Amino acid sequence: MGIDLRGSRSPRGSQGIKNTADTVATAPTLAKEIGRRLAARVAGACALIPLLLVLAPQAQAVPSFARQTGQNCVACHAGGQFPELTPYGRLFKLTGYTIGQRELPLAMMAVITSNKQKVADPTQGKTQDGSLIFNTASLFIAGKITDRIGGFAQITYNNYDNQDNPQGRWAGHSGSDNLDIRYADHLINNHQDLIYGFTLNNNPGVEDVFNSAPAWGYGIVPGSTGQGSGTSTILEDGLGQQVAGIGAYAYWNKTLYAEISGYRTGDGVFSFMTQGNGGQVYIKGTNPYVRLAYTKEWGPNNIMVGMTHFDVRPYTDQSNLGGPTDHYRDLGFDAQYQYLLDPYTLTAMVTRIHETIDPGAPGLASDTVNSLRAKTSFTYQAKYGATLSYFNYDNTNNNASSFSAVDARYGSRGWTPEVFWLPMQYVRVGLQYTKFSKFNDTSVGASDNNTLFFYIWGAY
Amino acid sequence: MKIATITVVLAAAAIGAGCTTTLVRSRDLGNPNVPAKTLAEQVCSNCHNVDGNSINPTFPKLAEQQQEYIIGQLTMFRSHHRDDPPGFEYMWGISRSLTDAQIKGLAKYFSSQKSVPLAPGNPKLAAIGKQIFHDGLPAKGVPPCASCHGDHGQGNGLFPRIAYQHADYVIKQLNVFQRTNERPDGVVMKTITHSLDHKNMEAVAAYLRGMTAK
Repeated sequence: MGIDLRGSRSPRGSQGIKNTADTVATAPTLAKEIGRRLAARVAGACALIPLLLVLAPQAQAVPSFARQTGQNCVACHAGGQFPELTPYGRLFKLTGYTIGQRELPLAMMAVITSNKQKVADPTQGKTQDGSLIFNTASLFIAGKITDRIGGFAQITYNNYDNQDNPQGRWAGHSGSDNLDIRYADHLINNHQDLIYGFTLNNNPGVEDVFNSAPAWGYGIVPGSTGQGSGTSTILEDGLGQQVAGIGAYAYWNKTLYAEISGYRTGDGVFSFMTQGNGGQVYIKGTNPYVRLAYTKEWGPNNIMVGMTHFDVRPYTDQSNLGGPTDHYRDLGFDAQYQYLLDPYTLTAMVTRIHETIDPGAPGLASDTVNSLRAKTSFTYQAKYGATLSYFNYDNTNNNASSFSAVDARYGSRGWTPEVFWLPMQYVRVGLQYTKFSKFNDTSVGASDNNTLFFYIWGAY
Repeated sequence: MKIATITVVLAAAAIGAGCTTTLVRSRDLGNPNVPAKTLAEQVCSNCHNVDGNSINPTFPKLAEQQQEYIIGQLTMFRSHHRDDPPGFEYMWGISRSLTDAQIKGLAKYFSSQKSVPLAPGNPKLAAIGKQIFHDGLPAKGVPPCASCHGDHGQGNGLFPRIAYQHADYVIKQLNVFQRTNERPDGVVMKTITHSLDHKNMEAVAAYLRGMTAK
């Protein structure tokens, strides 16, 4: 219920810093030898499943929220898959995670992965050679606090965080992950229905309840391939766990949703929301985030059409907080459709974001980043599922200020089909393959980055 | 720093407001003092709608439902004696701490709501369903639904209202009665549904949606 399965992500900042998850997973593959070796590893990993089943016999899967409501994961997540929320799951979040009765607000999550890139970078070691690795683990403090206040805070340990040592060995690191604490009230009777509330969070969009929001929609588990080299917009991947935001929202008659938030640098009194995530990214003042959405539900179907606007000014020189700022303006449009009727669920969504970057230094031309992502997921009996996702990223290259260098083009395009199995509601085993048709803005050699990704996800 | 200070003050105020909130709009399922009407509006409405006319067929319509039937079902959920999958997936947890008084209050609330007919089902199916509803299937030994559920499907005490119910819900429950022992309180339905085939179930469900047929 509203748990980020991607793990922590590093800030991009104004210099186009690549995030760890994408670096780890940039690329992938298939060959007979690979298949044989991976099959052996998969078999070994699957041997762990019975152990998980024994260790967690209760049907109260999703951590503390499920214990709070006493309900099965399928109540809030479409077909029990994460993080796709059902209409009820959205209401649970919008009403401040307060439905149910107070329980011990602790939960945990761990992910084991194997990532095999078609042409692996030998310096990346086990993160690309198909080795089965313990990828990340998270601790959640999540649940109802009072009748109108609740939230969740995630702390994530990334076992392959960095290679900052002479031998190139990977080192693990813990840091604060997504956080969303809210106050909410629900004015409802036979004549009116209005939910309103306030949120304090550390990632623009993590407070969103729709599956197509960048903070939730397209990554499934930490380490999954994502868009490879593609430079994403700052709304998608730039400021998570680097900022502190306060927002107000309202949802009227289960039809119109509106939110306005302001984000500032997550330092000072807010630093508990950004601890352990490397160098702090500094943005100037309070930066507006606006979200509007229209929703409708009929029979087993529901739809959402929405837009997002984010206007943010990171300092051009992060060591000179009195200097000029770059100006990022992101405008996103997204939509989703769901069909929810046992034994089937279908969730389809698409998100388009256009970003304009005006460099702080005078006389420089603007740059743009465009992202298009789409995903359809299907589950049967809340046990078997498949997804197909598409991504297409491109950016202009007018100056070095926007990205790492002039002529830096990081466009990427590709497809990721996936099949998964939920032997029980808190265990998910999946296999996905990402096929690139464009990488670093060229189709030449793009397929070298094709990646086969296997994972075992568990939570309790 | 001004913003930081304001934030801390606002957060403290919000927490204070939350702590001192009345029971009027509580979503606390573990507090026996929360009125049933509040639970109906703040919790039940999220799936069954505030007027009991649910939208998604996963969740049965509760408007105008018989009070005795609602009390019986909530009690069965609470004691884990009704264990069809949607029952334990959604309702065991919701009902686990409800008091008898809250259950009675919820039954009173939803029984007093106005049930709204759904769009009529397939006319040919609905016509067959109407015949089964009123006359049964004598050749198969299936009695008419109306004999227990009333001529208008309005129900009677422990016999639930089935008029205007979601077709998908009706079909799934008929299958639960016919093929499982997951609803022991409905054991009489096991005999009644024994000879129904899927087409018969679809027909009855199509009729019940709007209770209209030529």
